[in-house]
Order: sequence, then C-alpha cells, then structure tokens
Amino acid sequence: MAACAWSVSTAMCSLRASQGKHNRFLSTSLLRLASGADSGQTPKFKPPTKPVILDKSDTEIPVRRFVSPEFIPPRQRTNPLKFALERKDMLKRRTMLKIPEFYVGSILAVTMSDPHASEKTNRFVGICIQRSGNGLGATFILIIDGQGVEICYELYNPRIQQVEVLKMEKRLDDNLLYLRDALPEYSTVDVNMKPVPSSISGEVHLNALKVRMKPKPWSKCWERPKYNVQGIRFDLRLSPEKMEEAQKWAQPWLEYDMLKEYVILSSMEDIHWREVQEETCK
Amino acid sequence: MRLSLATLISHGRVARRIGLGPKSRIDMLRNILTGLVRFERIETTRGRADEVQFYAEKLIDYAKKGDTDEKAMKMATFWLTEKDLVPKLFKVLAPRYQDHQKAYTRMARIPNRTNLDRAEMAVLEYKGHPFPPLFHPKRDNDLTLLNQLLKGYREERARQTAAKSD
Repeated sequence: MAACAWSVSTAMCSLRASQGKHNRFLSTSLLRLASGADSGQTPKFKPPTKPVILDKSDTEIPVRRFVSPEFIPPRQRTNPLKFALERKDMLKRRTMLKIPEFYVGSILAVTMSDPHASEKTNRFVGICIQRSGNGLGATFILIIDGQGVEICYELYNPRIQQVEVLKMEKRLDDNLLYLRDALPEYSTVDVNMKPVPSSISGEVHLNALKVRMKPKPWSKCWERPKYNVQGIRFDLRLSPEKMEEAQKWAQPWLEYDMLKEYVILSSMEDIHWREVQEETCK
Repeated sequence: MRLSLATLISHGRVARRIGLGPKSRIDMLRNILTGLVRFERIETTRGRADEVQFYAEKLIDYAKKGDTDEKAMKMATFWLTEKDLVPKLFKVLAPRYQDHQKAYTRMARIPNRTNLDRAEMAVLEYKGHPFPPLFHPKRDNDLTLLNQLLKGYREERARQTAAKSD
C-alpha cells in the first residue's frame, strides 16, 4: 500500500510540474486519490479550470471583406438620393434577414413563404447562376436540379425567410447562364445536401470546372468573344474553324475605349463595407 | 452646340457616330489624338475635336500614373499610333500637368472652312505649349490719354462731393 501511495504521489508531482502546460489533460480522479492517501479525508471538489483554446492562425489572417454587388451604384444616370434611401432600406432589411456572402456558382438553399404550400413555406436548393440588379431590386437566379427550372429571387423580397449557403465557391465565369445549354448533370444538386463548412478568411475556393454542352442549337452563341466564357469545353462540340469564325465578332478596341470604362473605387467599397458592419453590429 | 432643351436631352447618347462604325470611329480618334500629342495644337472639324478632347484628357490622366503602370502603358501604346510619341507622353506631357487636376486641353471655335464643305472647324490644343496664345491677353490700357483724363475727372468729382458734404 505504501509503495502504491508513493508511486501515486510521484506521479502527482510530475503531473503538477506539467500542469501549467497541459491543463486539459489533467485527470482529477488521480489528484483525489493522491490527497486521500496523504491526509485520509476527502477534500472539496475543485472543478478544473476551463481550457482556453487559442488559435493563433485565426488572428493573423483578417476576415475576408465582401461587399454585396448591389451596394455599388450602377453606371448610369441615377438619382443619388433615391439610391441612398434604398441603401438605408437594404441595411434595415439585413438586420431582420441574414443575407450571407455568396457568389455566382455557390449552392444555395432558399426558404420562402408560400401561402399555397402545405407548410406555408417552400425550400429550393440550387446553383446560383446570375446575380443582377442593384439597390433594392437586386436579384439572383437559382437553377433547380434537372427539371429545367430556374427561379429568380429578389434578394430583398420580404417573403424570403432564409438564405443558406450550402457550398461557397466561385466558378470560372461571373455568369453561368450557359448551364441552360449544358448537360443536366452540371445543374443537378442533392436536395438533402449538408452545408459544407468554409473559412471566413482567405480566398474563396475557385471551382475550375469546365462543363460539357448539349449539341448545338444553344440559347446564345457562347463561343463569341462578347460572352468571354471560360468554363465550357468548346473543343468537344465545335470545330477549330467554327471557333475561328466566332472571332469575327471580337471587339478588341472596347477595352481601350475610355468612355466605356467604369472604375469602382475601393473607397466606394470601403464606405459600404463600413455601413454594413455598423448596421449588423448594432 | 445645343440650341434648345430638346437637343440638350441626350437619351443616353454619349458619343457621336463618326466614320464607318465603332472600330472606324476609334481608329479615326486615335489618329487625331496622335497628331495632337505630336503637334500639341491641331485643327479639325468641331465634332471630331469635341470627341477627341475627352480622350486627350483621359490619356494624360493615365500618363500621370507613370510609365511603370501596366494599364497606362497599354493605353499609351494603343492610342498613340506612332510609337516614338510614347516617351514624350510620359516624360514631357505628364510632368507638365502634375499640378493640374483636369482641363489639360483647350478647344476654340474658328470660322468654317471654305475650301471644301464649309464644315464647322475648331482648334484643339494641350495647355502649356510653346506656341503663341490663341486668345490675346487683355491689353492693359490704363495709361492711354483718354483713360488718364477720365481718371483725373473722377478724382476731381470725388473731391468736390467731399467738400460739398463738409
């Protein structure tokens, strides 16, 4: 017994020495056993200190800044007062409904109230193929799996109850309308998909998927330089001569036409980022 | 020149249609702009001068970013069809307008041309060039005899009214 008590007390000494480093691995039953062998009466139970988990990698990389594109004023003759009022309303709506960061190509699940549905709501899962509009009228289109159905949601529609991002990723293009003419497997999403966790810092995952298309009559001539599509395997459907022919519609001077350029200043984004942060932190 | 409110409303048209299409338009403007950078004062029809003025100012804005800037260099090599002018743009014109914020060019109307088609003409120039000025500066004619007499008359009147009030 004495030998046992001695071995336990030496084990305790070594544990106490390492206690500072490894708070979480300390076993309390061993402590109680050791003190009992020394004095013969049970001491008061002391709960172990809570382990503090410090993830140093998280503090170094700042949170990714994302300004929703509908906050950027469009390049046209708009009434600045109207746009400011709309922005105010948008921020107000964002306090009620959490609109997450998402991009074209992300997989979303949108819950919307529907008076005709049995549970008064419906939930659709799909790939976001386009974001358009600005101000309160901003919309995004979900392509719903395999049925040839697209749903255009208004982002600030009061009927929207929840917007979930199931998988956050970007694609090679800013507009995926060509998925209409692609094989149906590319717009098919599992309805019962579990959300894939994604980090809030660093770059967004880029899915460099190139899709295969249906045979030719397409809704638009995607091979033309106007659309500048990167995410299509043209070599499977079009001959090199056809691709050459499509270059007839190229307008290489457009990028040098200073009249057409619209610079979105980083200061503009700064303002909207700060606005959104202030409104959501209230 | 806008004569009435109806012509003032542009309905979204921001540029004139010049030449045989959009490519032709840009090519024509490129040639005129190259001439402007080379000679710093050119004479064209009024519509073309008005179109080129915007691009001339934007080109200086790009040139002020410096020749290490990739976009600025691309713009300069596109808009100047004669490539020996690229160093001039970055080394001569950009430092000249370092203190200016905008309005690097000046346009002046001149009489219609008579030899060809009586088109409205204009002179377009970069400011700060070495040529004699387009508009004469206002002459200082304070020291002419008539003005001196008038000045003396005014002073006399002022003195008389002061004496009368006392």
